[in-house]
Amino acid sequence: MRLPPTEDLLRELSPQVLGALVRRHGQFDACEDAVQEALLAATVQWPAHGVPEEPRSWLITVASRRLVDSWRSDSARQRREESAAALELPEAAQPSGQDDTLIVLFLCCHPALSAPSQLALTLRAVAGLSTAEIARAFLVPEATMAQRISRAKQSIKVAGLSFELPPANERADRLRVVLHVLYLVFNEGYATSSGPSLHRAELTTEAIRLARLVHDRMPGEAETTGLLALLLLTDARREARTDADGCLIPLAEQQRELWNAAQIEEGVALITQTLGTAPIGPYQLQAAIAAVHDEAGSDAETDWPQILALYEVLERVAPGPMVTLNRAVALAMVDGPRAGLALLGTLDADDRMRHTHRLDAVRGHLLELAGEPRAARVAYLSAARMTASLPEQRYLALRGARLA
Amino acid sequence: MKYMVMMFGDAGTMMESASPEWIQEMIRFMVQIDKDVRESGELVFQAGLADGSTAKVVSLENGLPVATDGPFAESKESLIGYWVLDVESEARILEFAGQIATYSNKVEVRQVMDGPPDV
Repeated sequence: MRLPPTEDLLRELSPQVLGALVRRHGQFDACEDAVQEALLAATVQWPAHGVPEEPRSWLITVASRRLVDSWRSDSARQRREESAAALELPEAAQPSGQDDTLIVLFLCCHPALSAPSQLALTLRAVAGLSTAEIARAFLVPEATMAQRISRAKQSIKVAGLSFELPPANERADRLRVVLHVLYLVFNEGYATSSGPSLHRAELTTEAIRLARLVHDRMPGEAETTGLLALLLLTDARREARTDADGCLIPLAEQQRELWNAAQIEEGVALITQTLGTAPIGPYQLQAAIAAVHDEAGSDAETDWPQILALYEVLERVAPGPMVTLNRAVALAMVDGPRAGLALLGTLDADDRMRHTHRLDAVRGHLLELAGEPRAARVAYLSAARMTASLPEQRYLALRGARLA
Repeated sequence: MKYMVMMFGDAGTMMESASPEWIQEMIRFMVQIDKDVRESGELVFQAGLADGSTAKVVSLENGLPVATDGPFAESKESLIGYWVLDVESEARILEFAGQIATYSNKVEVRQVMDGPPDV
């Protein structure tokens, strides 16, 4: 008997088992359900009887059996016939030892699916999380999440998506979608919530694990490395960014000894090796900026000219009002708050900024630095009225109240 | 039995008049009371709502739904948060609401309707 199974092993095997089943039987939808049941069986049986010699084969066998059971219990005759035909697919359809993880990931992040569907299905089929776990992480009822996942699988069926890697000419675009999904999973977990935040932290961990998985299986993709580095470097500050009451602590005031040094080291190494080896992209640049922040021993030691230079490049590569907003902060730290405020002024007319609190939040910060407490207070309170994040609203209200 | 406890108020006015100490105390209270009802097993669901000034009102105009910015910008009494609790008695929910009232202009308690009685 070997060591008890780790959840990691099951999660790693989950997409591989799904791949094997889909290759044999088709029907992504039914196979995915069967894999979930096999995972459940493993979590019950393995701790009691030990991990089987061939855990992957064990899971494939159990999942196949569940699949056949579900077909048998299905009363629709036509469905039975289809299933019987599917069962007769030659075994050779499965190339031996092939790792289908990437195929499953690309399928779950197919552009035919809505973003919420992509996130939910990726977490279930690639990360091996149960519907209940995913529902808790997104703070929705389990039945709602079950429906979302079932609709996502239906979309795959309706779109007639095939179980293979995207063709070479689509690969870059499809990878961009995959990376964006992982970025969204991370953000969903990183945005602190007033609810129990524990399950949400799990999402950031999963996003990092999946980014690492793509990075390992598709080496040489600079933006993938950039994303992995960005997530590691951002997540490294998690412990320090809220206080005991869940209130936000701004970067400048965080206790840096709470930052995760190992993650920072890994993130910095990744981005350092990658920069300059391929065309620069937004994830690499954001990672580089995060690295500059994380490497500063104190807020005062932050290399703001370097950060400003990176934001200038980012604005050329991926222009947008949020990038300009961040550049204004960096500019204020280099050339003084007035320069930053002037740049912020260019965003006032931008329609995309009308419904975000961030413009006024940053304005409050820069006005405070400029020695205008009254105007800063007005900006903070305006931002507090606009935000949809409770911790942020509390932070902004406190900030404003201190200036009264 | 389940009740919804609704907290009314205006975050904007609160922020304009409250001291940092009062806000700090209010935050601590809210974090604690959420923790209490979660641990007691009474919490079904709770949520805080974004400020009333960000509300949209959707109404029918000539048979078509039209969304307009909410008229609540000046209101002191818009809904800012709610709890649904499953409690043993009305007395318990009134006690809970009484605690909330310390930090709110007005708290409303309503029983959540149930299915028909068992046959």
